[in-house]
Parts: sequence; C-alpha cells; structure tokens
Amino acid sequence: MTPIEAPVRPGSSAAVDARRWIRRRRIAAEGRADIGTVYAATLAVLMAAALLGQPLVRVVWPPDAPGGDPAVTPFVGAVAVLAAFFVVLRQLGPLSVSRSDATWLLPAPLPRRTLLAPALTLTTVAALAVGAVTGIAMTGHVAARPAGLLVLGAGGTTGAAAAVLAALLALACQRRPSAARLADGIGIAIGAGCLVLAAALRTTGDHRLPSSLMPPVAVLATSAAALAAGLIAVVLTWRALENWPTAPIAEASINAGAYADVVYAVEPSYLTEMSTRRFWRSRTRVRTTRLLPARQVPPLIAQDLIILRRKAARLWWPVGAAAVPVYLADGPAWLLVGVVLIGALAAAGLTAESTHGDASNPAMLRLLGATGRQVTAQRLVVPAVVAGVWLAVTLAVLQAAGSLTGPWWALGLLAGPAVAVGAFQRAKASAASIGTILIDTPLGAFPAGMLLWLLNGIDVLAVLTLPVSAGLVMLQAPEALGWHWLLAQAVSSALGCALLVRRSGTAAGSL
Amino acid sequence: MTSAVDVRQVTVTYGSTLVLDGIDLQVPEGAAVAVVGENGAGKSTLLRCITGLQEPSAGDISVFEAVPGRGADFWRQVATTVESPSWYQGLTVREHLDLVRVVNGGDPGDGHIDELCTTLGLTGLSDSLPITLSSGQRQRFLLAATLVRPSRLLVLDEPEQRLDTRIKRAIAAHLRSYVEAGGTLIMASHDDGFRVGVGADEIVLTRPES
Repeated sequence: MTPIEAPVRPGSSAAVDARRWIRRRRIAAEGRADIGTVYAATLAVLMAAALLGQPLVRVVWPPDAPGGDPAVTPFVGAVAVLAAFFVVLRQLGPLSVSRSDATWLLPAPLPRRTLLAPALTLTTVAALAVGAVTGIAMTGHVAARPAGLLVLGAGGTTGAAAAVLAALLALACQRRPSAARLADGIGIAIGAGCLVLAAALRTTGDHRLPSSLMPPVAVLATSAAALAAGLIAVVLTWRALENWPTAPIAEASINAGAYADVVYAVEPSYLTEMSTRRFWRSRTRVRTTRLLPARQVPPLIAQDLIILRRKAARLWWPVGAAAVPVYLADGPAWLLVGVVLIGALAAAGLTAESTHGDASNPAMLRLLGATGRQVTAQRLVVPAVVAGVWLAVTLAVLQAAGSLTGPWWALGLLAGPAVAVGAFQRAKASAASIGTILIDTPLGAFPAGMLLWLLNGIDVLAVLTLPVSAGLVMLQAPEALGWHWLLAQAVSSALGCALLVRRSGTAAGSL
Repeated sequence: MTSAVDVRQVTVTYGSTLVLDGIDLQVPEGAAVAVVGENGAGKSTLLRCITGLQEPSAGDISVFEAVPGRGADFWRQVATTVESPSWYQGLTVREHLDLVRVVNGGDPGDGHIDELCTTLGLTGLSDSLPITLSSGQRQRFLLAATLVRPSRLLVLDEPEQRLDTRIKRAIAAHLRSYVEAGGTLIMASHDDGFRVGVGADEIVLTRPES
C-alpha cells in the first residue's frame, strides 16, 4: 500500500466562511430550527412581557412625578446597575465563542474579525440597550413631568454612553488580564459601595441636587459626543481583533459554556464550583502551613482552618452582611428571620467546598481511610464557630440598634452548630443528585432539582434554629430574652449535630 | 502464605459487551503481580472489581478474606490509584500529603514524605495548589498520596503512565522495596521494563470473544 503523502505545506488562508459551512452542514444533518422550539421561545417572551411588562415600565418610568429637585439615590442606583453590568461582562468574557468554535475555529487560520464580530456586536448592542434603559429609568426618577423628548434623550444617551464605556473597559481588561484584577475589584467595590450608600441615604434622608446643574441640552450634547467616541473605539477594537491573544478568548469561551450548562441543565451548583475553581486558580502566594504536621488539632478541623485563613480576602462580605439586618429591623419579622438565618448559613458555608467535593467524588475519603462519622464530626466544628460568631455579632448589632434586649449574642453563639448542620446538609447535595423529578409547565418539563436544591439544608436549618426565629418574631424590645430560650437552642443544636453524626455512614468513602 | 486477593470466576459485562469472562486470580500476601494485555482487555475493570469500586456481573472476590470496598477498615489496608480523586480546593500539594499521612495514623515529620517527594520530583511543587498542576505532575502527586500512607495492598492502574524515565525507575525501586517489606502489589501495566524493574509476575489478560 502506498502511504498517503503527509500535508506539510500550509496553504493560503481559507476563503470559505467556516461558520457558514458548519451551519449548512448542521442544517443538512438536523434540519432547520424546530418549530416547537420557536413556539416555546416566542411563548416564553410573550408570557414574560405580559407578566413583567407593566411592573417593569412602572420601575423605569414611575407614574407619580418626583417632587422638587432631583434626589441622589437614582444616580447611585444607576451607577450600581452599570457596575453590575461591567461585572457580568467580565464574567462572560465579553468576547467569547461557543465551546466547539473555541476548539475548532479559534486555533484555525481564520480571520479573527469574522469569528469574533458577532460577540463584539452583541456586547455593543447589549451595552446600548442596558445603558439606554438605565439612563431613561434614572431620568424617570428625577425629571419633572411632563418630561420632553429632549430630557428623555439626554437620559438615554448618557446611560448608553456610560454603558458602552463600561463595555470598552471590560474588553480592555479581557485583553490584559494583569490589569483586570484591579478593575474587577473596583467594579465590585463600586457596586457594593453604591448599595451601602443607597441604604445609608434611605435611613438618613435623601439629598437633593439643584436641577440647574444639569441643563438637558448640555447633557445631551456631552453624552452624544461621548457615545460617538465610544462607538468609534468599538470599531477600532474590531479592527484590532486580528492581534488579540488566543488565551483570554478561549478561557472566556469555556466560562460562557459553563454558564450555558447551568442554564441548560438548571444545575446552579455548577456556578459555585466554577467560581471556587476560578478563585483558587487566581490565588497566588500560597505557602504550606505547619498546622497539619503539628497534630495539635484534629486533621480535618486543621484543613478547614487553613481554608478559612486563605479565604480571608473573601471575609469582607459576611462582615458587611452582619449590618444588613439593621435595615430590616422595622420591616416584617419573616424577612428579618430569613436574612439572619440565610446570612448565617452562607457564613457557615465558607468552608463547605471540601464536603461538597467529598460528596460528589469520595475517592479522597477512601484515600484517607476515615469513617463518615469522623469526617462529619470534624467538618462541623469550624462552620459552627463561624456561624455562631456571625450570628452573635449580627444579633448584638440589632441589640445595639435597640431592636432587641437580653443575652441575644449568647443565643447566636449557641445556634452556630445548628446552622453548621444545615450548611453541611446543603454542601452534600447538588441539584443533580437531589432528583430529576420533572414538573410539567406549558413551556415544557422543568427539572425540580433546582427548586429542591434551593431549599436543601434550609429545611434542617429552619427546624434546628426555631428558638432564634421564634425569639426574633415574638420578643421585640423592650421584652427581654429569657435564659430558657438559650437552653432550648443549646438542646436543639446538640440534637442536630448528634443526629447528623450518627446518621453519617460508618464506612469510609461515604458521608 | 495467606491469600491477599482471591478472584474466582469473575465475569463483567457492559451491556452486550463481555469484558471479563470467568477470570481466576489468587495473589498471596507479599507478592507483586502485573496484569498486562492490549487496550480493552479488562485490566482496569479487574482492578476496579478488586477494590470493590465495581460489582462484577458474576463470580466472587475477596480481599484479605473479606468482601472488598466495605468499611473504613478495608480502605485503611488498601490504597489505590484506579480512581482519580478530586483534590481539596485550597490545600497545597504538601498539605494533602500531610493530611493523608496524619489521618492514616502516620507521622508526617518522619521524613517519609520528603523522601517520596524527592523520588517523585515533587519537592519544588510543595506549595502549589493541585488545580495548577499539569497532567504528568498530577499523576506523580496521585502516586505520592497513595504511597505516602501505610497500606497492606496497593492496587495501581498503569503507575508508569506519563512519567519520565528517571522517575519511572525510582518508582519501580520504591514499589520493589514495598513488596520486599511485606506489602502486596497488583498493578496494570503496558511497560515491560517497568514491570521487570518492580519484579512483578506477569498475568496476561486477553479480550474475551463475545
């Protein structure tokens, strides 16, 4: 047999549009889009419009005209929305292609401009739409009625220009990952800062800006110029696409693919796993500790302590979250109870990755040769302390604000183990492992796994922390918390831990 | 000499595909055997059955005169690489090795870990997170984690895979000393030189005719 000559001379760049070629093949193999899918998508859009259209219009353009000079809060809100838009763009890329295109077309000798133009167009259009709606909504909350087209145009154009600039910043960050970390941090900080500022303005009373500061014509002219400059920069970015490095696009495509999996499989626990992986991959300057060989604390407790120490950079949010219940103290009791307990559950979940990993792949447990009971007992300790301290601080803050009286901090500490049991239960399961019961809807079957996953662990938490919830509902200041409440919570926490440890398998390799 | 592993008439089928057809294998304690055979001959399947990670369609298996894979006692005696663990996020390579050794009742400070890390060329990777390792480094890390803990039986699936020649030789010497010290070794291998280096007897598996 004559061997086939190996191709060693690359030909000139293919003139065919590879994407069109693939699309044609696909249509030939699978036919055009299924009429059922088109029907379902159209119905979904119509239903969403019918259900959410009116409330959304009211949010964007409230029917009651705001009185007096413009308030500060709508501006703060608009900045928060744009910061969130930037963070979302950074999570998605913004320039990404489908996973199969990333595998086959990205390393192929095809023009990058053709390959990435759809993603760039989508990013720009999304920025224009999000920005315009945000700008109009901001105008709706500050402009006197009736508002003319000029005012509306000024608001919309300002928003669109700001969003396009945010998109350009996201594009620049994608190209230069070294600068991206700082920008991401600033984006999150601005978003979170705006929320805190809005909450502060809510409690202290809003400030007013003199409306003479913003003549609509000047605003429209400036923003139109900024928008034009932004769009020119987008075109320049498109022209420069040929020189873009491959790595950031490939990485973004993998991320975007994982998000698509989450939507397609309705399996939100993918998201936690992915964000965990990203966090640890970007974590630098890790040094091995001597905590494990010192053998002063049980090994799996030592493991949780090491993880907690390395996550110190992420501890800002539970610390900030401890102040949130203060804003809700005057609101409905169920909301306060919910926020307090979910906050504690999230704090207890800081070290839950190991349990989640062991539940989905117990190979490491088999390597350790430890029984499920040993593992469970040790893995409850650190979350119990973290949740206990978080609850103690949160309840003490509520007490300092005058909403509660009595030894609430002690009740918080005692509830820690109960919350840890809920967090452990939650970490053990993923939506896929909970069940594949399908709920029939007019739009097709919906997997119940996600709903059950959302509630998973919260059921246990609700039962075991009953003294805390009942106390928050029944004992508003000046009624003081009695010591029998503490006893009830201590018994409930101890019972929860004992039952969980007892129920954990005695075999290695199962939790 | 007592039998460490006793496989009797084990048959495994995947759907209509017959993978193992009435296999018999007795491995005495302190012996080393290498299961060899072409791709698809059922080597990994046999190893999975021996560790209890897979139920055979028919036949009996006992490991140290007990049903394999049940309970912490079994896993304290048997260490295996037939499954790849998802490493703990946020723990370094060295911390994993410390953890495995401490939980299994070993002393992490007795120099055993350092010696293995040197043998496997992991010394410079002590502070790395497993997520940042290459596939070859991960294979070495998995071997280190398996060898760092005390065990009576090692079940290794192609331990020579993705290793360079120097490390392959060092691992072969390490496994040979494990067997000389009284441990039992069952491995699947495609590398005859490595098998001879370990001093393992050859057991040839052939793909059954369906």
